[in-house]
Amino acid sequence: MRIIQNFFDSQRKHFVKGGKWEKYYPIFEATETFFFFPDHVTRTGPHIRDSLDLKRFMSLVILALMPPLFFGIYNAGCQSNLVSGMSPDFFPAFTRGLSIVMPLIIVSYTVGFFWEFLFAVVRKHSISEGFLVTGLLFPLTLPPTLPLWQAAVGISFGVVIGKEIFGGTGRNFLNPALTGRAFIFFAYPGKMSGDTVWTVMASVKAGAADAFSGATPLAVAAVTDAYGSTEAALTKAGFTFSTLFWGRHPGSIGETSAFLCLIGAILLMLLGIASCRIIIGGVLGVLSAGFLLNLAATENSLPFLSLNPAYHLVMGGFAFGITYMATDPVSAPGMNTAKWVYGFLIGSLTVFIRVLNPAYPEGVMLSILFMNVFAPLLDHIEIKAKLRKRIANV
Amino acid sequence: MIAIKVKKGYDFKNIAGQPALEAEKPGKPACVAALPEKIPFIKPRLRVEVGDSVKIGSVLFEDRRNPAVRFMSPGGGEIAQINFGPRRIIKEIVIRLAENEAQAEFDALSEKALEQIERDKLVAMLLDGGMWPLIKAFPFRDIADPAAVPPAIFVSLGAKEAFQPAPEVYLNGKKNLFGYGIKILQKLTQNVYAGAAADNPNVLKELRENITHVFKGAYPADDPGVLLYHIKQSSSENRSWYIAGQDVLLLAQFLMTGAYPVERTVAVGGTSAPKKKHFITRIGVPLAHLAPGVNGDVRFTAGGILRGYAASKDGYLGLYETSVTLLPESGEKELFGFARPGFEKPSYSRAFLSFFNTSALPANCNLHGDGRACINCGACAEVCPVDILPQFAFKCVLADEVEESLQHGLLDCVECGLCSYVCPSKVEVCTILKKAKAAYYKETGVK
Ligand code: SF4
Ligand code: SF4
Repeated sequence: MRIIQNFFDSQRKHFVKGGKWEKYYPIFEATETFFFFPDHVTRTGPHIRDSLDLKRFMSLVILALMPPLFFGIYNAGCQSNLVSGMSPDFFPAFTRGLSIVMPLIIVSYTVGFFWEFLFAVVRKHSISEGFLVTGLLFPLTLPPTLPLWQAAVGISFGVVIGKEIFGGTGRNFLNPALTGRAFIFFAYPGKMSGDTVWTVMASVKAGAADAFSGATPLAVAAVTDAYGSTEAALTKAGFTFSTLFWGRHPGSIGETSAFLCLIGAILLMLLGIASCRIIIGGVLGVLSAGFLLNLAATENSLPFLSLNPAYHLVMGGFAFGITYMATDPVSAPGMNTAKWVYGFLIGSLTVFIRVLNPAYPEGVMLSILFMNVFAPLLDHIEIKAKLRKRIANV
Repeated sequence: MIAIKVKKGYDFKNIAGQPALEAEKPGKPACVAALPEKIPFIKPRLRVEVGDSVKIGSVLFEDRRNPAVRFMSPGGGEIAQINFGPRRIIKEIVIRLAENEAQAEFDALSEKALEQIERDKLVAMLLDGGMWPLIKAFPFRDIADPAAVPPAIFVSLGAKEAFQPAPEVYLNGKKNLFGYGIKILQKLTQNVYAGAAADNPNVLKELRENITHVFKGAYPADDPGVLLYHIKQSSSENRSWYIAGQDVLLLAQFLMTGAYPVERTVAVGGTSAPKKKHFITRIGVPLAHLAPGVNGDVRFTAGGILRGYAASKDGYLGLYETSVTLLPESGEKELFGFARPGFEKPSYSRAFLSFFNTSALPANCNLHGDGRACINCGACAEVCPVDILPQFAFKCVLADEVEESLQHGLLDCVECGLCSYVCPSKVEVCTILKKAKAAYYKETGVK
């Protein structure tokens, strides 16, 4: 520990005012504070401060992302091995998964940090820990077959347009990871349309990777043609409720297992990092919208309408989105009632988009971004109502 | 007694180094001092020079804004030093104490005479004896305007910050004096409210007839501003006055004896304090007198860890401050600090294992992180005792939208510091709001 500390102490002189790399101080700071809690002390009252800081806050989100991450690695490898006719056993599947997923994560972090550093240096602000989360969230929402360059473009768009042009973390109103995801969804629909899911397929010749595509559960549900048979069609395509819940099916890397997202959600709620209002509101929103559509379903309507609402919770990216994306405090509303409304509307919009607009089967992404835009309005309404109750003091 | 429930706030009960309830009388210090710099808003004009001999209760300086408001010497002897800060701010007036201190003489007032005296006369007596500055006015917490009649006066016994003197200690044996003090205040206005904590049955029993409100709640439920916020019916009450429990005793003692009172009960605490207990000492005492022989990287705070100021080791206690807290500065770096389980790290959040740790945890002056942009986590709004939404209010202030920040309740802010304490982005929310309040006061000149 002393060695690392001495290293930083000896390098500091180059980065402080007057040093030769003075401009790059944010990079030095970010690296140093990764290793050490800074020794800064309070300058004004209160003289003591809470032990919680953003680094802790964000590392807990990362901790909660570990279950879907590890399962996603395993699952991506497993699905790939299955379609390539190789062993789906744990170990080969996991190593295969690593070789698929790690490059995406590395690209996401490297490219994203490049932009973070660039903006930090130019704008002379410190590097926010928020990117540690964004950089991991983003690849987890991607299908494993996405070309790396597209991932690089996506994360660049997310960081620059989704965050930095608004002034950086804290001032952005869109979730940067989702912004990036949405960008590649629209820019390269062939890879991301959501109708088909892509699994990496190793051809016999080593090194060359190909892709195999199959319908996603959402697409299956959307094209079923007989009334009341959506669940049966899903089961026939291999998506029983329990497969969808546990997550052993092809899909975006981190999103397939609703169960692990649930674990993450519980962890985040217990730690007080994610708002339970948003998550529970979201689940309620899905169930009520699904139920409402059930009521509207007739012999002649879209069969998707009659799907058991619980399926909506486990299909597609909803579980992942509501747990890790919708609860990002920066882009969510800050007021309590507004949080309920926000979560609820994300849930119900997700279902409506999925069912009524088959062109965008993956509704959760759009509905979160859409609600991100309205979050300030929700806050505004609640604040106005609250302030009206105050006894004026001017 | 009316019961009040203060839902928000935060208790610091689990921070180590709290002062014991036992009280000690230390010997007489060599010097005492008055600290004009630490009295907000006043523009002091000196009335003494170095070398002058002074009595306990002779005038040291007055407020140029209203020369009738005077500040007295807390000791008898000789003016040893007058220390100036930048821009000739008067920092300290140090008085070297004589063996036998002379007392300035004022008129005493018996309980009977108090009943008959006119309000104006009483105000004049308090001004004359330098007692007036003990009475402060909302919302800016400046010294009350002697020409005004307040809608109410709030008395705060102040027990909810763990490192402040406990009322059972400073009120010990002074029940009658306190009652007399309340009578003085009742002469100044019709409504005198005194709040006491529901979890302190002894104080409640002792002072039963003088307590009007009993509150349940965490720090800063004891603050007079919080009490005002919770009981006010209309805007007209916003300009109420308040006074601290110990200062009520001083008022009473002054009128009873006709001598300028200087006794103070001071709580000394914090993990670095040599003796963590109450001291019955005097106004303006040197900090080192209460915490001798402290070396190393220790921060002395006068007036509480949340609202007080950082004082130097050879500084003095101000007129209003009644606590000295010594905490390690802790400029230490901690390897992978963010990833530790944190069984020993006090936190408002549930993000550390200390959530399950009920024993007292050490606190220090480390910022525990670095300043970042607000992430809208809402923790500050969860703790604000007067229902301000600090995260939105401070943004209004930074955007220069004064009107809007006022609507947010800026002037209700009791400056408790909890919002800054809990903020994971280490935004100086409380300081921003406090400065905005003071700037607004100076700009508009409203009282
Ligand atoms: S705004 Fe902050 S300092 Fe003011 S009362 Fe609320 S918590 Fe306390
Ligand atoms: S506690 Fe800090 S980061 Fe959280 S909302 Fe308040 S000011 Fe913003």
